[in-house]
Amino acid sequence: MYSLRPLFWLLLAVAAVQASVLSLQSPRFTILSSSAEQLRSEPLSVTQKPAPLTLGASDALKLTFQVLDKDEGKGVQPHQTFLRFYDEISGEEGIQPVRVTSGGKAKFELNMARPPASIPPTSAGIPLKVELIIGSFVHSPLKVELFELFLPESHPAPQHPDEASFHPLPPIHHTFRPEQKLPPRIISAVSAVLVLAPWVVLVGLWGHIRPSVPYLLSPSILPFIVTLGAFETLLVWYWVDLKLGQVLLYGGILSVFAALAGRQALATKGDLRVGRK
Amino acid sequence: MFVRWALLLVLGLVSWATAKSSTGDSVLVILEPNLDKDNFSIFFDGLREKGYDLTFRSPKDTHPPVLEHEHAQFSHVILFAPETKIFASDITPQSLVTLLSKNTNLLIALSPKQTPLTSLAPEFSLVLPPPGTPLISHFPERDTPATVIPVNVSSSSPILTQGLAPVWFSGIPFSLQNNPLLVPILNAPPESFASDSESDNGADSIVEAADKGGEGLWAGSQLGLVTGFHALGGPRVTWVGGVDIFSDEYIQKEVAKGVESGNEQFIADVAAWTFQESLALRIDSVSHRRLNETEPRETYTTNDQLVFSTHISKYNPETAAWEPYSGIDDLQLEFTMLDPHIRTSLPPVPGTPGEYSVTFRAPDRHGVFKFVINHKRKGWTHLQSSTVVPVVPPRHDEYPRFLSAAWPYYVGAISTSLGFFLFSALWLAGDDRESKKTKGSKTE
Repeated sequence: MYSLRPLFWLLLAVAAVQASVLSLQSPRFTILSSSAEQLRSEPLSVTQKPAPLTLGASDALKLTFQVLDKDEGKGVQPHQTFLRFYDEISGEEGIQPVRVTSGGKAKFELNMARPPASIPPTSAGIPLKVELIIGSFVHSPLKVELFELFLPESHPAPQHPDEASFHPLPPIHHTFRPEQKLPPRIISAVSAVLVLAPWVVLVGLWGHIRPSVPYLLSPSILPFIVTLGAFETLLVWYWVDLKLGQVLLYGGILSVFAALAGRQALATKGDLRVGRK
Repeated sequence: MFVRWALLLVLGLVSWATAKSSTGDSVLVILEPNLDKDNFSIFFDGLREKGYDLTFRSPKDTHPPVLEHEHAQFSHVILFAPETKIFASDITPQSLVTLLSKNTNLLIALSPKQTPLTSLAPEFSLVLPPPGTPLISHFPERDTPATVIPVNVSSSSPILTQGLAPVWFSGIPFSLQNNPLLVPILNAPPESFASDSESDNGADSIVEAADKGGEGLWAGSQLGLVTGFHALGGPRVTWVGGVDIFSDEYIQKEVAKGVESGNEQFIADVAAWTFQESLALRIDSVSHRRLNETEPRETYTTNDQLVFSTHISKYNPETAAWEPYSGIDDLQLEFTMLDPHIRTSLPPVPGTPGEYSVTFRAPDRHGVFKFVINHKRKGWTHLQSSTVVPVVPPRHDEYPRFLSAAWPYYVGAISTSLGFFLFSALWLAGDDRESKKTKGSKTE
């Protein structure tokens, strides 16, 4: 572009002297249904936007206007005559050039049955703002907001498969297995009490027999009874708290005492039996 | 001129260690012979003031090379060779891609002429217009040529300083394809379009260009003029549609009466992002543990309460240091075994800068899980971390010990023990009077 600069400066020097203003002559829009029936046809005013237009899936919109040089009153063909369709919420935009004859007459048709690729994706209920952009090397540029257009909802713009990972992803919660269900504690308690039933019988029978225990505190019998009690206690302690190694160790020590005490106790019992005889 | 040099000297002495990049300070500037280094003096001096070492070279020279023995010799490369058709072998498009894999950042300027770089741009999901069609805009009415365009800077990009004045631009636009790694920095004004015509007679060719299928007409605000690309693995590439945006002439041109253009700050911001000064993050450390413990374990049990925490820093170019950063509010953690089983947000811990932590319950499936952080946002460094941790089912003694359903059995077993003890005591302690009597009576 460096070599063309001097030419541009020359052109613009000329343009700056006579930057004439463009204007739109008789802009008009028409909405036709698929059976060529005119649904709405109004002239467009550059100062006031009409009520928003709505196109159905098979309707067509026709737009006609003429571009004039305001000072000379002649039709001109500007360099750039674009219609810009813009969705403010999503930021999607589409630019459609409009063919203008050398006399400045322009005609644009939008047929929803075969929409041009330049129409951006639309969502339901959100209008497209339609602007007319006219630019020229020799005239002042002109931008006119024409109207708002409601189009039927289109497919959304295609997204790259990785796009979702550039935004926060939905949280995932793990469903845990439900807690193990136990039977009601009342039933366990009642069953525990039922298990104690044989004791009733045993204690009853013992009460009937009334056995006597004259040698309970005798020094040859008592140590063995105590070691038996110690063994039972060790077993309960193992159930609650101890590990195997510990219980074998303690049990081993205790078994030495038990053997000695037991020999003595059983020898005494034997002597008693023989002695009585 | 003298005042400028004196000021630079003072600034240079005072701030010799400011605003360095987080990945290195050596910059290779490949400047084509048509372009004069002095036309870009404000930009290059700005880089030198920040602490970068600039080395200049022409595209056809082979010395100094960018890649030597498979090692990148420079941290950053600026390619101001928009019209060169032949490059030395170490900066051909293929070599530039190899350079990216060595984590070198690139700043590339294009032009309407077709060069080897025009074939590299599509690899970055940029579609360039046909050769010889620069961007032109008839809006706003001004006394510069249609190809020199003041572009409004959007305030929503985190890369640019807020409130920048419009920026002068001249060059080509590119159409951005659907790639999430692209980071748009400057978009074209909505009234601009790419065209090769120089007078109003070119109007018909524009309409015909649009009728051609595909990318017939490059027009509108969806076009990019300065676009960044964040390559996987960290390096950043910025594609600029024209080299004039960096020139002194555009920096000093006024956009309106008395209003300086935003070019100087804009190109400084673009260079800061490309050279990994701004928006550079990193994960300092990652740790995990059980809720009421302090040290991490080698394995965890299902249904454990796990605490995961991470420290994240952001690079501060002014102090040239990584500082803890608690500003990420949408960081997420995934606990994954093949598929994410749990995805929760990792909020910052108030009171500890830079720390993010979350407590959650390990799923009741056993297996080898990973704590995965995969945080990618446009413009920011990608944060990725993955820590493998086995989760095992409970050991035999980690189940609940005493159950209410077992009360009858406990009572039964204890009864048996007690019964044995009482019976033994009775037998050992009792005597045989009864049997003696019956025996005696029998013999009689």
